[in-house]
Amino acid sequence: MNLKTYINLYELVKTHKGTREENRALGLEYEKIKNEPVKQLEVWTKKHTPTLGKPLLSDTFSTYLYGMTLTLVIIAFFLGFFSGVGLLSYSGHEPVNVIYYMAMVVLLPLATMTLTLFSMFRANASQSLLVHISPAFWMEKMLRFLPQKAQSSLQELKINPLLSNWLIIKRSQLLALMFSLGLLVALLGMVITKDIAFAWSTTLQVSPNEFHSLLHTLAFAWRDIFPWAVPSVELIEQSQYFRLGEKLDTQMIQNASKLGEWWKFLAFATLFYAILLRFGMWILSMFGFKKALKRSLLSLEGASILLREMNEPIITTSATVEKKNVVPQGSHTMQEVEDLDGSYDRTLGWAMSSDELRVLNDSMQVITPMAFDVGGANSLDEDSEIISKCQGEVLFYVKSWEPPTMDFIDFLEDLTRVADKVILAPVGTVEDAYLPKIKELEMWGRKLQQISSDKVWLKRSSVKTLSRESLNAES
Amino acid sequence: MPSRRYMHPKFAVVGHPNKGKSSIVSTLAFDDAVQISDTPGSTTKKQSFPLTVDGKILYELFDTPGFQRARRVLAWLEKHDVPADKKHEVVQAFINEHKEDERFQDEIELLEPIMAGAGIIYVVDGSKPYGEEYEAEMEILRWTGQPSMALINLIGDTNYVEEWKRALGHYFKMVRVFNPMEADFIQHLNLLESMAQLNEEWIVPVKASIILFKQYHEQMFEQSASSITQLVHHSLSHIEQLSLTHEDATAEEREEIQEKYQMQLRTYELESQKKIEKIWNHDHLQKVQESLLFEGMDLFSKESASIFGLTRKELLITGATGGAVTGAGIDLLFGGSTLLLGSAIGALVGGSGVFFGFNELSDIKVLGQNLGKKYLEIGPMKNLNFPYILLNRALYHASEVASRSHALRSVAKFEMGKSFTERWMDESTRKSLEKFHSKFRSGDEVKEEERKEYESLILTALKNIID
Ligand SMILES: Nc1nc2c(ncn2[C@@H]2O[C@H](COP(=O)(O)OP(=O)(O)O)[C@@H](O)[C@H]2O)c(=O)[nH]1
Ligand SMILES: [Mg+2]
Repeated sequence: MNLKTYINLYELVKTHKGTREENRALGLEYEKIKNEPVKQLEVWTKKHTPTLGKPLLSDTFSTYLYGMTLTLVIIAFFLGFFSGVGLLSYSGHEPVNVIYYMAMVVLLPLATMTLTLFSMFRANASQSLLVHISPAFWMEKMLRFLPQKAQSSLQELKINPLLSNWLIIKRSQLLALMFSLGLLVALLGMVITKDIAFAWSTTLQVSPNEFHSLLHTLAFAWRDIFPWAVPSVELIEQSQYFRLGEKLDTQMIQNASKLGEWWKFLAFATLFYAILLRFGMWILSMFGFKKALKRSLLSLEGASILLREMNEPIITTSATVEKKNVVPQGSHTMQEVEDLDGSYDRTLGWAMSSDELRVLNDSMQVITPMAFDVGGANSLDEDSEIISKCQGEVLFYVKSWEPPTMDFIDFLEDLTRVADKVILAPVGTVEDAYLPKIKELEMWGRKLQQISSDKVWLKRSSVKTLSRESLNAES
Repeated sequence: MPSRRYMHPKFAVVGHPNKGKSSIVSTLAFDDAVQISDTPGSTTKKQSFPLTVDGKILYELFDTPGFQRARRVLAWLEKHDVPADKKHEVVQAFINEHKEDERFQDEIELLEPIMAGAGIIYVVDGSKPYGEEYEAEMEILRWTGQPSMALINLIGDTNYVEEWKRALGHYFKMVRVFNPMEADFIQHLNLLESMAQLNEEWIVPVKASIILFKQYHEQMFEQSASSITQLVHHSLSHIEQLSLTHEDATAEEREEIQEKYQMQLRTYELESQKKIEKIWNHDHLQKVQESLLFEGMDLFSKESASIFGLTRKELLITGATGGAVTGAGIDLLFGGSTLLLGSAIGALVGGSGVFFGFNELSDIKVLGQNLGKKYLEIGPMKNLNFPYILLNRALYHASEVASRSHALRSVAKFEMGKSFTERWMDESTRKSLEKFHSKFRSGDEVKEEERKEYESLILTALKNIID
């Protein structure tokens, strides 16, 4: 996992999310890493990166970051080198005060490393102001060297602040390390090419013994293995100087060759404080960066949905194919009657008992010579026989709530062959006083449009019935 | 017949036309695309509704056309006088013989899944009286020899359930009342459990399906909570910008940005609603609702110069540290972060022009094009009440969608009552929410675990409303 993965995923979740099925399939393929979301995201990113347009933003960014880091590393090294040279320059006039150099290789690293630790801590905890410093201007400067297209895409890139904090911390450690290396090289170079008279001087009241114990403490890490790399009390005494003296202390001149011995201590101090410890900080920052990368990866918007899609089973319940059931639409306009006549040649009832039929005729005040119940429990043969007995005008009761089946339509068609006119009268339930509902009537109307016979008429409800019906509908 | 091969449970929903077969399937399958119509005969082909997990079918539900020529089919069957154990073969013979016969297409469509092993779910309307015309259908179903149950649906207000139960009892071992329009999730699962009783072999797979259904339901809740969280976060942190043509913003420009901002918030809401409707399989939902209004809410607006693409607040910070910025570069070199130390060593670099921008927003933005250009900016949402208005609306919408039957085809009227807030929010919920709202508002990065916490608050609220 690296920054490239992050940027690739960052780009992918914006454009190409993969289908739910693809993501789940990938999740199942890598079931072993089911509980390792970061790895899952990595696998996903790896699979989908080819869909991103070339050049990859991650490549552009890495190249740019690499170039920038390299430039800064070189600058840092030379900065260290020249600072070292400057600090160790021996004018031949005054000896080189080791305290300056020590401040640079001991005090400064210790101080900045403490701050680094602090900022590392803050980088995770919140968006502290301290680590909230971005090298925007530098980036912008460097951007000018990039092709226009890359420039604009980089401008869109919004890296998680946590990550950028760590990116800066990590690179800062590397640069500081380079700076220290520069110092060390300068020290060694100066020692080899020149004779340097090291001395120490301070305004403070520090006795050579006290100074020695300070140095002894500072050298704790190497004094036992390399005792010769710790200045002796004698050397310290000999190399103390005061600028007030007109010329160099005679004692110092006598021991000029010995004064050079200081370099060993300085080299070890540089090696340990500025380089070794900083190296440790660098390693630490790499861990921190890795952790931040993981966290940023997980908090990328879209990542949680991706993970969910990879880990949750796809459950579907709906139809596999959305079939359109087309309702056959008849074009025939239904003929309607408002009121029933007083008598009919025949009355029929579809799926009704003969008792019900009688009651219906009574309540509708219809007189008929013959009434038959058809459909229902009748056999088809029985129905055919009834049809053969039909003629003239037929009043045909049907249950308004029962939609006409094809069985009914078949019967109706046969009936129209022998009858002159068929009045279909949908009737409601007894509770509704045989009054059909508007919706039911409409349904019958629609259905009957499919048969184009001039002999069939539909009995509409009267106005009175309608008003009662609307009362029913409201209740 | 490869007898002992595993077959997932299948159920064919059959019955007279227009008795709510498609409605029941629609509800059981969480599918709002099933054609439901008050014109009989609108379902002409059987349609399969499998419950699948990762492509594997757990059970399958069939919506079928209604019986159309039951008497004719039964007459054909009864011409063959066979012992009971051979009756299903006669039904198969009927299907084979009438494959091309247009008159029996509906019957064949509905008999096919049954002959392929589906359990029968016979649907009737219990709000209308029983009639003898149903007997032919039930008799045919008996000929198939497949296990069966009856479901009494109540389409109207009248009640003939007892009458129906007596009649159905002659044909079916199990008779249940189920209303697809009003059934809640529990009733839904209970029905599944009854269906499992049809065949001993189905009990285990249907139990597994029930567990899965619960999981599915839970997923829907979680996804809704996640979507609402995203909505609130996006809406609160949204910032709208508008480049200025002149030094000062004109009244029109102020108007324009205000409108754009509100439009964006409305879009966020609509998108979120669409997402939630999709989560609950209500893609086809039609709704009427009042849109998000902003009257009486003093929205925050400000103008800032984008010299460094920073907001005014950020510019302030930058200004406060003005003198020290040169040193900041060095500061970073050493990994320390104090401006003071940086400034001290700043001399070393000798004012190389290193400048570090301060970016209070949650990103490093590479700047350049709009250098020095002025723009108008609105957002993030400063109105403290807004997130609650938004949440109320979102929760109301989600709870309505979540508890809506998939059999309904009417236009949904969303009218949130005044007391809706009380149904989910108390003082402690409000306190927990507020913490996150101010975080969302700040535009700072919202951490994974914070988002999760907010989601679980929303989840609880949503469930409280629905229960
Ligand atoms: N009020 C109410 N209407 C229902 C119910 N079930 C079905 N319907 C209505 O009855 C009509 C027929 O429903 P549908 O499911 O298409 O029946 P199918 O022909 O058997 O598939 C439609 O207008 C439905 O809206 C119910 O439980 N309550
Ligand atoms: Mg249907």
